[in-house]
Amino acid sequence: MKSEERLAIARLSHRIGFGPKPGQFQKMLKQGFKVSARQLLNSGLPDYGDVKAAIGITDLGAQPKPNSEALRPYNVAKDAQLRNMSLWWLDQMVGQEHPFVERMTWFWHGHWATSYSKVYEPLLMFDHIARLRKHAIGDFSQMCEELVLDGALVYWLDGQLNTASSPNENLARELFELFTLGVNQYSETDVKEAAKALSGLKVVKNSGLVTKEPKRSYFGTTTILGTTANFESATLARFLSMTAACQSFIPERLTYRFISPASSMMSIPMKPSEQKKSSAYIIKKAFATRQILPTMEALVSSESFKDPVNSQVKSPVEWVVSVFRALQITPSTCSQPDLLLTLLDTLGQRPFFPPSVGGWPADEAWLSVASTQNLIRAAQVIVSEGDLTPLIKVSKQERVDALADWLGVAEWSDRTRAAFDGALRDPARLTALAICSPEYLVSA
Amino acid sequence: MKNFTRRNFIKLTSASAVAVAHSMSTFEFAHAAGPRPLPAGTPILVIVTLSGGNDGLNTVVPYLDPLYKSLRPQLAYKEDQVLPIGDGLALNGSMTGFKSLWDSKQLAIVRGVGYPNPDRSHFSSMAIWQSASRTPIKTGWIGRWIETQPENPFLAISLGLTMPALFQGDKRSGTVLPLSGLVTPTGMLAKDYAKTSKKTKLDGQLSATAARSIRDLFTVADVVSPILKNPAPPAADLPTVIGGNAGGESNLGAQLDVAAKLIAAGVPTRVWSVSLGGFDTHANELSAQSLLLGSVSNSISKFMSQMRTIGRSRDVTIMVYSEFGRRVSANASNGTDHGTSGPVFIIGERVVGGFHGDQPPLNRLKDGDLAVTTDFRSVYGSVLEGVLYTPVDRVISGWNDRLALFTA
Repeated sequence: MKSEERLAIARLSHRIGFGPKPGQFQKMLKQGFKVSARQLLNSGLPDYGDVKAAIGITDLGAQPKPNSEALRPYNVAKDAQLRNMSLWWLDQMVGQEHPFVERMTWFWHGHWATSYSKVYEPLLMFDHIARLRKHAIGDFSQMCEELVLDGALVYWLDGQLNTASSPNENLARELFELFTLGVNQYSETDVKEAAKALSGLKVVKNSGLVTKEPKRSYFGTTTILGTTANFESATLARFLSMTAACQSFIPERLTYRFISPASSMMSIPMKPSEQKKSSAYIIKKAFATRQILPTMEALVSSESFKDPVNSQVKSPVEWVVSVFRALQITPSTCSQPDLLLTLLDTLGQRPFFPPSVGGWPADEAWLSVASTQNLIRAAQVIVSEGDLTPLIKVSKQERVDALADWLGVAEWSDRTRAAFDGALRDPARLTALAICSPEYLVSA
Repeated sequence: MKNFTRRNFIKLTSASAVAVAHSMSTFEFAHAAGPRPLPAGTPILVIVTLSGGNDGLNTVVPYLDPLYKSLRPQLAYKEDQVLPIGDGLALNGSMTGFKSLWDSKQLAIVRGVGYPNPDRSHFSSMAIWQSASRTPIKTGWIGRWIETQPENPFLAISLGLTMPALFQGDKRSGTVLPLSGLVTPTGMLAKDYAKTSKKTKLDGQLSATAARSIRDLFTVADVVSPILKNPAPPAADLPTVIGGNAGGESNLGAQLDVAAKLIAAGVPTRVWSVSLGGFDTHANELSAQSLLLGSVSNSISKFMSQMRTIGRSRDVTIMVYSEFGRRVSANASNGTDHGTSGPVFIIGERVVGGFHGDQPPLNRLKDGDLAVTTDFRSVYGSVLEGVLYTPVDRVISGWNDRLALFTA
């Protein structure tokens, strides 16, 4: 096995999925990169059935009055729903053999970055993520059309406060800047015009129902990016998704998260003969149809995806999920599910709580002294309930290599091997060291 | 009380040196000879980031300007609701702490601060402020300053959970310290874990950073953990209000309390970063902003009082900024949308108190927005030279302007 192939497969497993389950990495090595990539990218979703019924996500009605007796049970019910849906989602990431669609849903959650901290309605956040999941590898234009009328997103960006007589530009601006076009691709006039087009929305807070109220809406044409039309939410979103700027922007965001921030800034060469070799060009070209799956296929098979310079730090959710997969721990049934959610909070990344509309940071931001201490503390608890069979069943001498194959690590450095030396007899300590080592924190 | 004196420091590290002799690797020994306590008289910079875009017009209020009332009738404060400070301006009524600092000439207000062609995106604008660059770059201005200094994990500390872009260097960055402090593993695990932090040629930049964060964890935790058990220095000369000293209860107050403890103990930190969010007041702005500004004002005046108690008040300079100001007119939700310039506050005993820069005139708005009268890099220029003793162009290439914010 060439080391480049091993590196590429490790990236495939950790970045396009959430890391290998026991035995999975060896299987991928045997199959080779191409077959493994095809298998992962075409894995689809299991039939979830009626998730809301299963985990009790319901419309809790309007918020009771302050100081009323109904307030406490109402808040308790909200907390329980939030907890259930958080653990349910983590369970899917951890449990599925090939969690590609959940990985993409997770990506889109960071892209549309809507947080429970303001929405404060489990049902709306659940439906928001369900919409992302529905389109996670599908048609980006359809995703945009649905998301601009998504209750959680509209509320998060004050869309319900935006009226014809007095516009609130929050949703309009972020629709341009963060969701479809990127910075500097539109003017302030475009934002003002778009706010008119998006005006008059009403969100029923407890059900998430979004309607357009004629009295508060602007009627008439708006001119956006030079095109004059009777834009409304969905038509505007589709229009923006079809622009040339969007064709560059979404591939850049995918490259940023799945390859590296530096790689996402690579410009496309002017000469057609050089373009064929440019990863940025190939990924952008694949996005011409606005279909996400072919774009991801192009990304995974691009040169940049395999280029050793493009290492990446695992974010806290990625770290926790990949560790739980390897150690076969189920979030909702582990000994302390609430501690797990608190850990993610402390590490600065909990599902349903992006820190701001810009989503989560990347790379060095996760490598602070603060996060390091939390990881090593958490690791000690996690290994105590994990299944360490892949290490226990092999002899001491084989454990370092077994560790790399089990966890899907491309290569251990000499210093980390030296650290393992003293712990070979102690699988729990060995595992804790491995999952906190620089080689595991960073997807090489 | 545990202090970061040279003696205690050696005691602390030699306690761990004993542990090292049994269990830890050699890097601990290297650090035992490392950082010295911060000599008295060394300037300390505390950067306070107000995120979300603070509405400058209701912070430093042009309450006498008839245009102020006519342009934002729903949001205009009346004369008896604000704290006049001259020039037709007044501080937000909740900022009584700042008013005292102003009266004792320890508060400089730089007016109309921003940059040309203001960007109204939170992210771009915050990135511009934190990087001090109009075009996107990865490093923060403090991060670049860190790289002009000898390696020291205590040099710049951000209180919180994740690294602010401000502290991001190219190869070395500042340290992030959670308010609850740091706990390190013990026993055999500690010994082996420390080994995974050794430098190796195989490391790319990110793995090298990961390894350094493990090294710094041990170094910083050893020093900081005993100090955080100390009580915060008292704010002895601050008038008490009902319920004790105001401030300190908020999250910003808690961050400043941790900084105060560590400064009192002599930890060799030259730059602190603390922050407060919630300023993105698109709706129902008046009460929300006033609560936040009250927290800023109270916790900073409490912190300055703590610094007086421990004899560091002449060393400390505080800078308060936000990524942009807000629109002059209100929106339909009794809030304001993203705008342009805003005031920057500089606080300290060495500060030239009073107004700096011109107030953006309300009769000359550009597309409904305030003009930028002072470039933020000029503020950084004076802070870099007056507090960090570093020529501005070493950190902000091609920039040479500064304001006269500090007494000689």
